[in-house]
Amino acid sequence: MFLSPLFKDARYFQIIFQFEFLAYGILSLGWNAEWALYLTYLGVSIGTQLIAETILSRIKNNTYPSAAKIKNGFPSAIISSMGLCLLLKTNELPVAALAAFISIASKYIIRINGKHIFNPSALGIVAAVLLTGKAWISPGQWGSGAVILFSVLCLGFIITTKVQKLDTSIAFLGTFGGLLFIRQVMYLGWPIDFFVQSISTGSLLLFSFFMITDPKTTPNHSIARIVWAILVAAVAFYFATFKFINTAPVWVLVAMQPLVPLLDKLFKAKRFSWMPHNVFTGPKEKTYKAVVIPK
Amino acid sequence: MKKKLIIIGAAIVAAPLIMSFCGFYVSKADGTLKNKTSQVILVRDGNKTVITMYNDFKGDTKDFAMVVPVPVVLRKDQVKVVDQSIFQRLNDYSAPRLVEYWDQNPCNNYPSISEALAGKVAGVQVRSKSSNMDAMKEEKVKVEARYIVGEYDILILSAKESSGLKDWLNENGYKIPENAEEVLEPYIKSNLKFFVVKVNEKEKAKLNNNFLRPIQINFNSPKFMLPIRLGMANADGDQDLVVYAFTRKGRIECTNYRNANIATDKNVPLFVQKNFNSFYGNLFNHQWNNEDKAVAFLEYAWDVSPQNYYHCDPCIATAPSEQDLVQSGVWWLGNKDWSDYSDVDNEEVDNGSKNVHFTRLHFRYNRRSFPQDLQFQVTPNTATFQARYIITHPATGDLSCDAGKKYLQDLKQRRKKELETLTVLTGTNINNWQDDATAKNDEETNAEVQYATLLPQVKSETDDQKSLPAGMIIISAVLLGGAGLMRWKGIV
Repeated sequence: MFLSPLFKDARYFQIIFQFEFLAYGILSLGWNAEWALYLTYLGVSIGTQLIAETILSRIKNNTYPSAAKIKNGFPSAIISSMGLCLLLKTNELPVAALAAFISIASKYIIRINGKHIFNPSALGIVAAVLLTGKAWISPGQWGSGAVILFSVLCLGFIITTKVQKLDTSIAFLGTFGGLLFIRQVMYLGWPIDFFVQSISTGSLLLFSFFMITDPKTTPNHSIARIVWAILVAAVAFYFATFKFINTAPVWVLVAMQPLVPLLDKLFKAKRFSWMPHNVFTGPKEKTYKAVVIPK
Repeated sequence: MKKKLIIIGAAIVAAPLIMSFCGFYVSKADGTLKNKTSQVILVRDGNKTVITMYNDFKGDTKDFAMVVPVPVVLRKDQVKVVDQSIFQRLNDYSAPRLVEYWDQNPCNNYPSISEALAGKVAGVQVRSKSSNMDAMKEEKVKVEARYIVGEYDILILSAKESSGLKDWLNENGYKIPENAEEVLEPYIKSNLKFFVVKVNEKEKAKLNNNFLRPIQINFNSPKFMLPIRLGMANADGDQDLVVYAFTRKGRIECTNYRNANIATDKNVPLFVQKNFNSFYGNLFNHQWNNEDKAVAFLEYAWDVSPQNYYHCDPCIATAPSEQDLVQSGVWWLGNKDWSDYSDVDNEEVDNGSKNVHFTRLHFRYNRRSFPQDLQFQVTPNTATFQARYIITHPATGDLSCDAGKKYLQDLKQRRKKELETLTVLTGTNINNWQDDATAKNDEETNAEVQYATLLPQVKSETDDQKSLPAGMIIISAVLLGGAGLMRWKGIV
């Protein structure tokens, strides 16, 4: 079937789901559809990806990147730009372009042991907010009413693709929600709906299922991943609760990503790859589930 | 003095409500519109917040009392009273507006709208039976500070436990609603202080006026929020809150509830002019219901910096002057040595900017939809917004030429559309507007394009925006199901 190569790569699912979130925001929540902004994110992301691949090939082999290589890079660039569309607000296109550029360029420039350090979207967001002061995140943009839709989509995404690491999401949400529960309900004595309001915001769920789970920028070993997610959650809880930083998870994620190579050193494991090694040449894979390549 | 927890004082109405509501919000279509509206001015830059609470208490001032949770023990110089009229000016200036155009002669004329805001103090207003503020149980409740500002006696209380505070307030003549304890407990554990206000009759007598002036407090705290929960303690329904916010950078946004823009730039029938308040009341109510209630509605956003002369399009009232802004608490305007705030340590580096961005947010809250206090953030969003509705007067005179006939055809279509827009915006049945449409308002218009003629032709249209989320779920389910099926069948 002609669709099969498409669905061998779980990233296409991710793009579909991200697109649905955006459509939900525009159609149902009444966001202004800022097409110029979205196109800037997308265009600059893909452009940066192409240029970076070309430069890399010229330096390494003095050739141009193969079609397969370029094709393989597209979904990642689209996912990064969709992440920006969903989270980063700005009225100025140059700021948007900068965010998209930093997102993608960081994948090629900031690397340790051949693995990039930062989640591209998260770094792009943080950089744009910090460097320009003209961009912001709207934690309230999803409201809490869409929590069922979100849960269905997020869980569906994970079950369907099996590629996103559910362990990371559960460890993060469990720790963050658990700490909030202890603080808000058990210690301060707020009624339960106060707590539900805190954890049912779309921004938090989106972060838990689509951002912190990025297999490329989380530790390779599953125990290390869980430890890391718990750490991010605990630190994010601290900043959200005691320092009143509304978007603490994103900031903490970026700040703590340099720990990932360290955890990778401590917990040896095989590295994640989006595509089966032989997808372009080898025999048919029965499953689109991502496989691992030995280091 | 600890600066730990952080809630800024404000909003609420409690116990025996003895104030009168003098608003004239009219609700023709349904009875759910309330004329209970609190008004608050918020000024925020860096970690500093200035909050001004409107006071429209109308009864015997001996009966007035208010309790507001605050993050720090406020010193006397952090509290002041300000001129009541700034609320009226800010409201007039930022209120939803109706603009009119003439088809032939596009000269503009802006009818002024006074949206009835029967303001109430943001804060628990409680009945006070006596002015016996002295009897207190020292062991459970501590009086951190006590002073007189303007016509008010002010106490700052801290407490160890909610029942103690409740008892203290009750014993001292403040009637606290029974279920207020649910909120007092978390506030106390969050290390909040309680700002308790009563009228000092001697000072009041000196003023020789019959109203109470707004109270303004300022303090430093990283948290930018308004406590509304206390006021829901005995809330008997929905309460409106209008927030006028001023920042240096741009709009403010609510961070723990969804932000939505109120419908704007809509062409509506001519007769809306006669009853614009009712129209907007219906529109707000309808949109509020449609958006699932837990929403911060943006009604106005503009750069009102004194150096910016272009403040709105059109302006429906005089722009707030620099003096008004300073009165509202915009401390970075005016003289640097403005003595009232000179001793407030502002941690942020003062960049000397004189920019002022005005945001007007409108909430309608109740206990069910708003389990948390309102939290805000300042964003660098400088895009402008105003709630604006447009009426167009038809051309008059002889329209029998070809162009005139075509014009009448267009006008007919346009007016039908206006009637449809009206029903969609307000969620009312088209028949509700029968009286307005048939009243004498456009008899000089050709009979076939009069609203009264067109009304029966326009079917009442219910908007089906509600089906969108359902549609999304169905699409998602189909997508997921398809993908799952393909995977199960081994296709992919």
